[in-house]
Amino acid sequence: MKVENSDMSNRPDFIQLRNVSKRFASAAGRFDALKDIDFSISQGEHVAIVGKSGSGKSTLLNMLTGIDHPSRGTVTVNGTEVHTLNESRLATWRGQNIGIVFQFFQLIPTLTILENVLLAMDFVYAIPKHERKQRAMALLKQVGLDQHVNKLPTALSGGEQQRAALARALANDPPIVVADEPTGNLDSKTTEIIMNLFAQLVGAGKTVIIVTHEKNSGPVYDRIITLKDGMVIGDRRGDES
Amino acid sequence: MNTKFKKVIGDLRINPGRIILVIFALVIGLWGVGSILVSYTILSHDLNENFIRTNPLDAAITSKDFSRLDLAALRSRPEIEKAEFRDFSSLRIETHPDEWIPLWLFGVEDFANLNLARIFDQKGDGGPVTPADGAMLLERDGLKFSDLKAGSRARIRAGGRIVDVPVAGISFDSAQAPGTQDHLIYGYVNKKTYSEITGEAANQRLIIRFKNVESRQDVEIVADNLREYFKSLGIAVDAVKVPKFNSHPHQWQLNTLLFLEGSVGFLAFLMGAVLVSQLIAAILAKQIRQIGILKAIGASRSNIFQMYLVMVLAFGVVSGAIAIPLATMSGYAYAYFVANIINFEILTVSLPVHLYFYLIGAGLLLPILLSLPTILKGTRMSVRDALSDYGIRQQDTSSNRSDIINRLPIPGNLALAFRNTLRRKKRLAVTVVTMALGVAIFSTGFNVQQSLKDLLFDVNNSMKHDVQVVLINQIPKEQVEKYFSGIDNISRIETWNGGRGGMQSNIVSTDDGVGIIALPYNTDLVAFRSVEGRWLDGSTEPEIVMNQEAAALYDHPVVGGYQLLSIRGKQLKAKLVGIVDEFEKPKIYMDKDMYDGIANPNHYINSLMFVAKDKSFDKVMALKRDVEKAIAPSDLQILYVMMQAERVKIIYDHLYIVLVTIIFFAMLVLVVSAMGMASATSINIMERTREIGVLRAIGATPKMIYRLFVTEGMIVSVAGILLGLLLSWPLSIVAAKFFGNLMLDIALRPAFNHIGFAITLIATVVFGWLASRIPARGAIRVSTREALSYE
Ligand SMILES: Nc1ncnc2c1ncn2[C@@H]1O[C@H](COP(=O)(O)OP(=O)(O)OP(=O)(O)O)[C@@H](O)[C@H]1O
Ligand SMILES: [Mg+2]
Repeated sequence: MKVENSDMSNRPDFIQLRNVSKRFASAAGRFDALKDIDFSISQGEHVAIVGKSGSGKSTLLNMLTGIDHPSRGTVTVNGTEVHTLNESRLATWRGQNIGIVFQFFQLIPTLTILENVLLAMDFVYAIPKHERKQRAMALLKQVGLDQHVNKLPTALSGGEQQRAALARALANDPPIVVADEPTGNLDSKTTEIIMNLFAQLVGAGKTVIIVTHEKNSGPVYDRIITLKDGMVIGDRRGDES
Repeated sequence: MNTKFKKVIGDLRINPGRIILVIFALVIGLWGVGSILVSYTILSHDLNENFIRTNPLDAAITSKDFSRLDLAALRSRPEIEKAEFRDFSSLRIETHPDEWIPLWLFGVEDFANLNLARIFDQKGDGGPVTPADGAMLLERDGLKFSDLKAGSRARIRAGGRIVDVPVAGISFDSAQAPGTQDHLIYGYVNKKTYSEITGEAANQRLIIRFKNVESRQDVEIVADNLREYFKSLGIAVDAVKVPKFNSHPHQWQLNTLLFLEGSVGFLAFLMGAVLVSQLIAAILAKQIRQIGILKAIGASRSNIFQMYLVMVLAFGVVSGAIAIPLATMSGYAYAYFVANIINFEILTVSLPVHLYFYLIGAGLLLPILLSLPTILKGTRMSVRDALSDYGIRQQDTSSNRSDIINRLPIPGNLALAFRNTLRRKKRLAVTVVTMALGVAIFSTGFNVQQSLKDLLFDVNNSMKHDVQVVLINQIPKEQVEKYFSGIDNISRIETWNGGRGGMQSNIVSTDDGVGIIALPYNTDLVAFRSVEGRWLDGSTEPEIVMNQEAAALYDHPVVGGYQLLSIRGKQLKAKLVGIVDEFEKPKIYMDKDMYDGIANPNHYINSLMFVAKDKSFDKVMALKRDVEKAIAPSDLQILYVMMQAERVKIIYDHLYIVLVTIIFFAMLVLVVSAMGMASATSINIMERTREIGVLRAIGATPKMIYRLFVTEGMIVSVAGILLGLLLSWPLSIVAAKFFGNLMLDIALRPAFNHIGFAITLIATVVFGWLASRIPARGAIRVSTREALSYE
């Protein structure tokens, strides 16, 4: 099964950040992690966010997923003003619109790979009940894990776990997939497999945003946004280079 | 099955140790509270029910002129519900060779047709067997300390004679104080046999149950009217006895136990609640990161809430399934234990349904209620906080208090331990208070026990004689003393009037029935603890001393004031010079010569105080047997022969059940609080798995980490112990007052039990040490794996 996409028209302001700032107040004092970030991502784009450690990449990603709220500015994703949703609406919205892949996979250790994917469907009522298992199997096959569906996460290698996490991110067929250093823990061979999977998603019309250190894999992306000290210092199209 | 709940079950499976701990804590809590609830339900109902179903009498009237009474006419009077003749005489019975105790013998009109002051068969279900002429029934509690049983022949001493009476059967009288505690036996015979044994005419004691009376006052009023009625018939009433209204004589014991049960149950409940909520909080704390993931993949708050609710409900179901049957069993077992000691039957065959509702409700609702705050907190936590460390770290950013600790001149390791201890202030407070409460109550248990022991010690010390012989009648001194001249181990015999207990108050007493003890004012055989004023000192002015019970009866008169007493129809105005502390019925002490001058012109006596040469227990026992042997062939009418040591034992037996229960419950509280302590420590460690990993990464050896955690645990338990011991002092004072009033109508003196203190100290330090050691050990074992499985 191919990853379907409902709307192929490349809407230019699919994701829109306007003057987004984030300030953390901690015991050590105030800290501006993001300063006046302002850009848009169009639908179906394959975007890399790069920058030194501490430059604000994860913080920026959290703004897009609604995991964190901006101190100032607005975030609009697929027509929804993310920062206006409350916790509960946010959870459902996120389940329907965004698939998240973490650096440390973050699979539920007590559930099998298949159940991990099913769990995500249980929370969001996007997929009809009777289709869930079939769809989960298809997703796992797509990431090449059809032999391992009934294994617990701990029985899989890091790369396999990350593929499972990717399948889970796609469980509710979200238009957007974000990943925070999804290959940070993997060797280069496995990294390639995962990166190819993301590229396939873009081919199927998904919008994919990846935080990464891998500068050399530039050509894969449509666009590379570079952060430094919470500010965008570079934003170039992949085909420009 | 729904994947959500599969996850819940998976979570439960992954850490069985912790789950078992929660279930264990829940089971213990529910079991404790449940058995208390069950036994409370049974006991609070059954003793009274046992008493009421005997159709107890309201008053007993004695007269020698009842032959003039038309019983049918009396019964038809409007205020009389039931009336019959139930004769009574206090004799003596041989329980073991040469060991005699009082026999309270009742002459019963019709064994087959008892409807007032009923007795039952041995098992308590039906009427008693009817003894043939010449035979008697014995009350079952007496079998516990005698060789007698159905079919044996009892030797009874009545007047100056010994009669052999076959025991026809065993009965059960649930309206009487248990014979084991009062060291006497109840016997029942028909009227003919009664007269044969006692040598007295039957039908001299009338027992009555009145209609429409609601209090002792009501009864007294009605009885007074009846006295007038009898007077009009030419019947001279000797005495009217009105027992406590509608209440078993040992209801006070039960009330004490029930109170203990109730308060300890409540406390154990609170502590168990704290324990369970802490454990659940710890389990949920472990799940914080997973909550973050679940939320990130689309779980709403209510999804998460549901999942953890199911988890907690599962705890409730499992622990309820284990604890409720256990609670029912042990609740019944405890009720039977108490029933056996107070001598009544457990009548509750099935517990009321609502009780099970309470238990199930408590089992299911409690864990939910207790974990609700934590669950809500967990579900409310934002994804970012759950997934990052920031959220958790922010809560324990250093306080200024830890800065103070930094500046204190203590070694680095200890300083770290102190700082860690203070990190979670609320939990620390809860843990310390739980521990302190446990310690305080445990220690108070010992102190109250000590107060009671002190009382026994006082009783033992206040009377220096070894054996006392009390006669039913007052007779010339020479007539008595001659029987004992041949006994070896007697140093001297002092002769008094008056003796122990309520029975004897019929013989030497004021005209309103308060016991008098007339003794040489300067006797060295008494040394009461003075509450107020002084002892008698032989001044020419009439002086009296009261014990506390008597003082209470006379509405706490002022020491130094005058008291008007009527003795044998003569008025005596005496100065109350002191009040003494005595565990006894109300008694008034006065000089023998003064008493003789007023009411005893012939200098008769009824009480002999034997002082032994050799006061060792065995020799005094032998002396007592010799005294009994001397009495056996005599014509002396004996009320009782008693060793001072036995008297102490009787008092002790009355308090025994309470003492045992106090210590048992105190222990329960201590165990629960130690468990709370252990769980708090292990939670502390659980939450800091990552910290342990980091500590190890920067070079701390397992030994150092272990020591750090043990030190932390010990700091907490030492704080708890100190606070607890401090608390135990005011608590002991209040408890001594309270239990004294509840049980004995006297305020017990607060006491300090050194051994109990030592036990408390050692037990709690060891508990505290174990409570911090065991989880600390787990911490260093688990940490390697867990630190690795974390980032
Ligand atoms: N909750 C927070 N409270 C305080 N400061 C924070 C918080 N979250 C992030 N920061 C700070 O904001 C800055 C940006 O953090 P962020 O995690 O976005 O960096 P990053 O670019 O993802 O780094 P890395 O590549 O190491 O993951 C950092 O300096 C970090 O210390
Ligand atoms: Mg980051």
